[in-house]
Amino acid sequence: MARAATSAAIRKTSTEARPRRRNEESGEAEPQVDIRMIAHELTRVADYISRLKNEIGALRANELYRDRLPGAHDELGNVVNATASATNSIMEAAEEILGYDDADLETYRTRVQTRVMDIFEACSFQDITGQRISKVVEHLAAVEKRLSHFASAVNARDADLPPDPEEARRQTRKEVFLLNGPSSDGVSQNDIDALFD
Amino acid sequence: MGLDLKMPILVVDDYQTMVRIIRNLLKQLGFEDVDDANDGTAALAKLKEKKYGLVISDWNMEPMTGYELLRHVRSDENLRVTPFIMVTAESKTENVIAAKKAGVNNYIVKPFNAQTLKSKIEAVCGA
Repeated sequence: MARAATSAAIRKTSTEARPRRRNEESGEAEPQVDIRMIAHELTRVADYISRLKNEIGALRANELYRDRLPGAHDELGNVVNATASATNSIMEAAEEILGYDDADLETYRTRVQTRVMDIFEACSFQDITGQRISKVVEHLAAVEKRLSHFASAVNARDADLPPDPEEARRQTRKEVFLLNGPSSDGVSQNDIDALFD
Repeated sequence: MGLDLKMPILVVDDYQTMVRIIRNLLKQLGFEDVDDANDGTAALAKLKEKKYGLVISDWNMEPMTGYELLRHVRSDENLRVTPFIMVTAESKTENVIAAKKAGVNNYIVKPFNAQTLKSKIEAVCGA
């Protein structure tokens, strides 16, 4: 659509420009305009815009924004809640067991067994959270695939913009207070102990 | 090693499950006087109200981190000698070195077990 409109505009411009070009050839002191080159460049621009529109459409940004990202957000929220709930149940049971009176061993054994079964039941959260996390991974993979295709198709380069103030504050805080978070390549407790010996 | 089981201990962590775990471990070790705070600011207020024999603090908390709390404690005339153990998931060498320079008495990486906590408390507070 964009290309057709641009081509029509180019044809119109070329027609209008022809008489002036003849005048120029007859010796008037106007600059030479290469209509063919302009037409070629405009066609390339139109092609690029057309391809860009297709790529933006393929990104399906509304679907990402409305379904995929909120879906991932909800699933992670549910994982956090399920984990917290299970941890709470397990700790409650363990704390109760620690407080049981063991004067009567048979009663003690029955009560401990009942609460141990509660702990087993609470541990079933892992199966559900595993499935929820798989869904999050699926959502993120879809976002990554589309963004990566889009960036490659339009040869996107990151703009050198001033950082978002909230992000800048978070980054500064992270650097100043060494908030690195859990690390898979951190030092072991033994290495740390060696530093304190 | 002789530990004063009556000494008040302040546990500082924004994750209530971790507070509960540490409280239970301390209870098993025989400590009964255990308070908690959910960040450095709340901890500092408690430290100014009551004399604690030990602070066990997480690192990564909002609005005041455990690292900031440690520096406040060490720069306060009345608190500077309070034993301070960092219990954290921050396991980069730079974190351990920074904490040591700031005056931490010991450093435990999460996840940890009861034996590690016990041995560090003994190392820091043992007679």
